[in-house]
Amino acid sequence: MLELHNVWKVFESRQGRKAVLRGIHACFRRGQHVGILGRNGAGKSTLMRMLAGVEAPTRGYIRRTMSISWPLGGAYGLHTSLTGIANARFIARLYGLSLQRTEEFVADFSELGAYFHEPVKSYSSGMRSRLLMALSFAVDFECYLVDEALSTGDARFANKCLEVFEVRRRSAGMIMISHNASHVKRYCDTAAILRNGMLEFYEDVDEAIAAYQGL
Amino acid sequence: MIGDVPRREQTGAVAAQVGVISALFIREMLTRVGRSRLGILWLMAEPIILSSLISLLHWLSGSDLPNGLPVFLFYALGYVPFMMFRSIVNRGAHAIHANISLLHHSRITLLDVMVSRNLMEAMVCSTVIALYMVIATLFMGEPPHQPALFIFGLTLSALLAHGLAMVLASAQVVWEWVEHLVHPFTYLMLPISASFFMLDMMPQETRELLLWNPLVHVHEMNRWAMFGDRVTPYYDVSYVLLWIIMLNLLGMAGLRVARVRLSISD
Repeated sequence: MLELHNVWKVFESRQGRKAVLRGIHACFRRGQHVGILGRNGAGKSTLMRMLAGVEAPTRGYIRRTMSISWPLGGAYGLHTSLTGIANARFIARLYGLSLQRTEEFVADFSELGAYFHEPVKSYSSGMRSRLLMALSFAVDFECYLVDEALSTGDARFANKCLEVFEVRRRSAGMIMISHNASHVKRYCDTAAILRNGMLEFYEDVDEAIAAYQGL
Repeated sequence: MIGDVPRREQTGAVAAQVGVISALFIREMLTRVGRSRLGILWLMAEPIILSSLISLLHWLSGSDLPNGLPVFLFYALGYVPFMMFRSIVNRGAHAIHANISLLHHSRITLLDVMVSRNLMEAMVCSTVIALYMVIATLFMGEPPHQPALFIFGLTLSALLAHGLAMVLASAQVVWEWVEHLVHPFTYLMLPISASFFMLDMMPQETRELLLWNPLVHVHEMNRWAMFGDRVTPYYDVSYVLLWIIMLNLLGMAGLRVARVRLSISD
């Protein structure tokens, strides 16, 4: 379970203090697939970093009783000057996995072919996102934080990721942060909207999307 | 295959910590050596060039070192331990900004980042120093008097540098301008660190002033470890240890303060 209790995040800026998150209450259970919709600048990425436990809330607390992935999106956590295989080894060492099994899994899942032995900076954005998803699936996290990472891969690869979540449904959940309503509809069972620093939960994805599009 | 995920081996806290440090260490090594092979070569060549020039000046001035100390080795082995100190401080002080994206993994702490980077740098520099030792022994007939003490001295200097690097790295998070002080600081340390002279050559008052600097103690000790009783060293290991403890505690406290203030948004 991942529980947020009255979480605030305030940034100091030149214009003074700006509260990005203003008292978020939420509870994510194991195996849930939750979409969080928000416009640009609503604080989605800030919320993501709080959930991942890499930035501390200004006020309130977050309780984690399941293992949570690093935020997946862009090139977070990829070392672009290193090769794909060096990245796989890094993750294996960092999370205490078998080196050989991890290399095999990542090579197979990412479908990078010969590019697996090239530096990541020579990859296209689709290839980067494939490597990123493969690296994160190599670790048996109980909850994956996805920040639009699936949107850069092609449809076939996105389906493959969906398949992984399906297979590992009982142990692996997902929190997907997006401004794209159709992605949330496709991948998630429930949804919430991040607006004015607050999180509003909806039972039904369609209801959430309707409310989001009415914004 | 898709359902067949590598399972994490159940490990204790110590094993997990070793895993994190070794992952970071190897990554650091790949980027350090891979990106700048020329950098490693320069690390070897710089002391040779500098010591040769100083030896030349020394020879032109027509003076001799006391007790027939070998001129080139005196300067070269005085300089390389300082070079390690400077290299660790300069690279370590920038460790946080250079590795900010790593912090997306919640199990990596700032201390892990600092330890692995500084350990790597200390090992690279020690390798260079060891090569100088081999050259001194094989080709110049100057085996170190007390090799173990020399290694101890290098360890002290690495620990001093590690503590200072942590202090400077965390200070940079709070005050950005600290970044610009790092290079001038290490630059100004050189003439007051007894790398190119012995305290024995100095008048009493200067000697006492210089002994406030913990690096002076380390370099004096290293010189005795190298040349034995041909030099009269002035050092106090407990004074150096006190500095190490202070700098390391301050540095670790600083990292805690810095971590909360650090935003890892891109």
